[in-house]
Parts: sequence; structure tokens; C-alpha cells
Amino acid sequence: MSEILFIGLSLSSILLLIALGLSITYGAMGVINMAHGELVMIGAYTAVLSGIYLNLNLFFALPLAFVVSALVGLGLEKLVIRRLYGRIIDTLLATWGVAIILQQLIRLEFGLSFFGIHIEGLGPGLQNMDVPAFLTQPFEIAGIPIQPYRSFIIVVTLLLTLLTWFLMYRTSIGTQVRAIMRNPQIAAACGIDVRRVSAFTFAYGSGLAGIAGVLLAGFKTVMPDMGASTVVDGFLVVVVGGVGSLLGTVLASALLGQINGVFAILTNDILARAVVFGVVIAIILWRPRGLFAFKSR
Amino acid sequence: MLSLSNVDSFYGRSQALHDMTVTAPKGEILAILGRNGVGKTTLLRTILGLTDRSEGVISLDGEEISARPTHERARAGIAYVPQGRMIIPDFTIRDNILMGGFAAGGPRRIPDIVPELFPYLMDNLDRPGGVLSGGQQQQLAIARALACKPAVLLMDEPTEGIQPNIVEQIEEIIIRLNRELGLTILLVEQNVTFARRAAGSFVMVEHGTAVETGRIDLLSDDMVAKHMAI
Repeated sequence: MSEILFIGLSLSSILLLIALGLSITYGAMGVINMAHGELVMIGAYTAVLSGIYLNLNLFFALPLAFVVSALVGLGLEKLVIRRLYGRIIDTLLATWGVAIILQQLIRLEFGLSFFGIHIEGLGPGLQNMDVPAFLTQPFEIAGIPIQPYRSFIIVVTLLLTLLTWFLMYRTSIGTQVRAIMRNPQIAAACGIDVRRVSAFTFAYGSGLAGIAGVLLAGFKTVMPDMGASTVVDGFLVVVVGGVGSLLGTVLASALLGQINGVFAILTNDILARAVVFGVVIAIILWRPRGLFAFKSR
Repeated sequence: MLSLSNVDSFYGRSQALHDMTVTAPKGEILAILGRNGVGKTTLLRTILGLTDRSEGVISLDGEEISARPTHERARAGIAYVPQGRMIIPDFTIRDNILMGGFAAGGPRRIPDIVPELFPYLMDNLDRPGGVLSGGQQQQLAIARALACKPAVLLMDEPTEGIQPNIVEQIEEIIIRLNRELGLTILLVEQNVTFARRAAGSFVMVEHGTAVETGRIDLLSDDMVAKHMAI
């Protein structure tokens, strides 16, 4: 049973990395970014390509994917989202369109496949990222088998969650982000540059998605539409946890990841999905604003 | 000196200010008078760029600010005490005050005058802003605005919905901020008696435009009856 919970915990971790970014950007900017899953996918491809062309392993791919996804996110914010603030449905459709474009860019190898040029690591096929050998050999501590890669995922997520907490609650920029989440107009009237802070927030959330992509690539095949389902899971976490609540996001991803992991192992993946959706529906009926929505008067 | 000339302001497609021209002399209190819904709050929000769109010229000490985004106007020295206070309920009192510091530049700190004006806030810095009474929240909103190190203070009905014993205290503070700190204050006010006592000049607003304006001693009872009686 402890092994099953451990697998659930690693699923929860990836879910958390995806949802953190979504929660912050949805909370701070009111933007439903349907392309968030594609930022995960870009992170995964960054790992694959950096392995093939730069001969970099996982440890170097993590920061690289953070930077690449953050830059793509920043571009998305500046080119599309910035022009659509306050128009939530329009943003949803526009970012969905961006998601499709990004998927096709990978599938068509940036259009080069039309000219018969193939870039190894891109295209419609499945890709794999090599995980360093020492992360694949299970070992035992006090008779309990430990899967090193899953442990690695949990540790990385733990560190990034602490970093996010620190940024949000112990730095000036975090105070500005939280102020914007609660009241963007009064934040601006207090001298906070809402656009600049929002762009930073968006880039940071995108970078976390990129890291989630690298970690996913270690145990799942990498393909152009891998992001589509992750964005749905991410939003489930955000809705259950409460928009803009770090604690809510952490607990909701732990809960949903565990439910998914446990039921997937005891029964099958499809039933596990159904149970997750059932739990989410029950929770939002019970608490429509999520478990930890901050109180507003 | 803060002045607006021929300013139109819009929420979506509806126009809330029409050809508004008004000047707030430096170091004085300008009383903004008129019935509910005539555009007094919109006037303050337009000065900070918080409406959807505006046209015309707004200038602060001769420098035009109409094209600048809200946060730059705040950094230029305009602070806002909004209607409804807009305290962030789950921020501590300290964090609520320090929010104003983003406009002041440099390390954010609580202004020296705050402990003197609002000792209660200083004794409760770590409590959440949401637990305060209406009057205390108003004090907090004023403290936050002072942390912006403003030259101009926009105050929207600062005594509205506040228990009577605190009203007088807030009124004295407004007068002190003007007389002692030399702040230019644009004061939206329903209480004509207080406006006459505190302000140097006035503007009477109706249908989103200035219908009367001048020194406060020119504010006649006829004007009040005509533009403010319900």
C-alpha cells in the first residue's frame, strides 16, 4: 500500500507543478490559459531535444526547460493575452488556438516537414527522454523499496513549491502579485505596475509547467498532444483548491493525484478518471469557490 | 496644482464625464459636491486613469499625465482613498499600509505621521485588515494613501457609513493633512458644513460636468439647494 501511495504522491507532484502556474495566472490575471498544457509539452520536448543535440541529461534539462517555457509564456502574454485582459471567454478561445498552433509546430517540425526535412526529436511520432541510470535502479531503505525517479520528482516539486511560497509571501514581487489577485485597481493606484508584474507571473507559471514537462517525460512518452489532458487536470486542481490559494493548490493536487494513483492501480485508469471527476463535482457542489478561496468582503 | 481641462471619461460605451474642467490649487482642499451618481467618484477615478477610457488633458504641476498608466500617476504623487475603502481583508494591517509604499519608491516603510494619527493601527499591525470596523478601515485606507508619499490626495466620501464619533476625528485628520503636511486634497463630500469649514474652493458636479466652481465662500445656499437637495 505504501508503494501505491508513493506513486500517487509522484503523480500529485507533477499535477501540483502544472496547477501552481495555472492557479497563479488565473488568480492574478483572470486568464484561463488553455495553452498551459502546451507549455508542459514544450518542456518535455526541450528535454528530448537537449538530450539529442546537446547531450545534456535530465539535470540540465530542468533549468533549460524552465527558461524555454518561461520565454514562450512571456511571448504568449505579450502577443495575445495582454491584448485580451478582462475578456475571459476571448482569452480562453485565443489561448486554445495558440495551443493548437504550438502542437502543430512540433508535429510539422516548424513547417520543415513540408520541405522533406526531418528534425530528429520532433514530428508526429513518439519521443523518449533518457533518464540517468542511477535514477532508474530501485533500492531499498530499511526493507522498503524506493523508486528513485519517483522520489526525484517529489523532491524537485517540494523544492519548487517552497521557492514559490517564498516568492509569493516573502518578496516584494510576491506581495505585488497577491495584491493584484485581490484588487488590481487598488494595486495600480498604490503604484504597482500591474502589467509588468502580470507578465513576470505568467512567465514564472509557464516555467513551472516546463519543468513539469521534463519530469513527465521521464516516465511517459513525449508526443505533440500530451499537454491537452494535463491542462484539464491542472484546472481541476485549481477549481478544487480555490483560485489563487497556494495551500489549496497543494492539498487539492495531493488529493486528486492520490485518488487517481490509488484507483488506477486497484482498478484501471478509466475508472480512476471517473472517480476523480466524481470527487471534483462533489467538492465544487459543496464549496463552489474551492477548498481555500480567500475571503472577500 | 492638479487640473483637468475638457475631460471626457467613459465606462465601456457610456460617457460618465462630459467636458469636465476643474483646477485643484496646490496645498488646498477642493470640495467636490453634488448629488449621488453625478460623476464625483468618476472624476477621482479618471484622475488616476481607472476608467475604461478618457480624453482631454489632466496635468499635475504643469506636467501632463493623461496618457500615463495608473501606476505611474500614483508614482507621480497622486494617492487615492476610495469609496468603500478597498482594504485587502486577508492582508495584515502592516501589509495594507505598506502597499502604498510601491508608489513612493525606495524601501517601503510606514510614514512617520501614521503612529501619531492612528495609534490603534500601530498597536495592531499584525492583525488582518478585514477585522477592522468601518471607521478603522477608513483610517487604514488613509494610512495606505500616506505611504504613497503623495502630493495630492483623492478622498471619496471619507466619512460615509462611519459611526458619528469617528466622523469628527476623520474630519480633523483631513484638515491636519492639508494644513500641516501641505497636501492638496480633492474631497468628495456630502456634508456641506464640513466642506465650507475645510475647503478653499469647490466644484459642483451635475450630469458629469462642472456646473459651478469657485472659492468656497462663493458656495451659496441657493447653489446647494439647486444642485444637492433631493
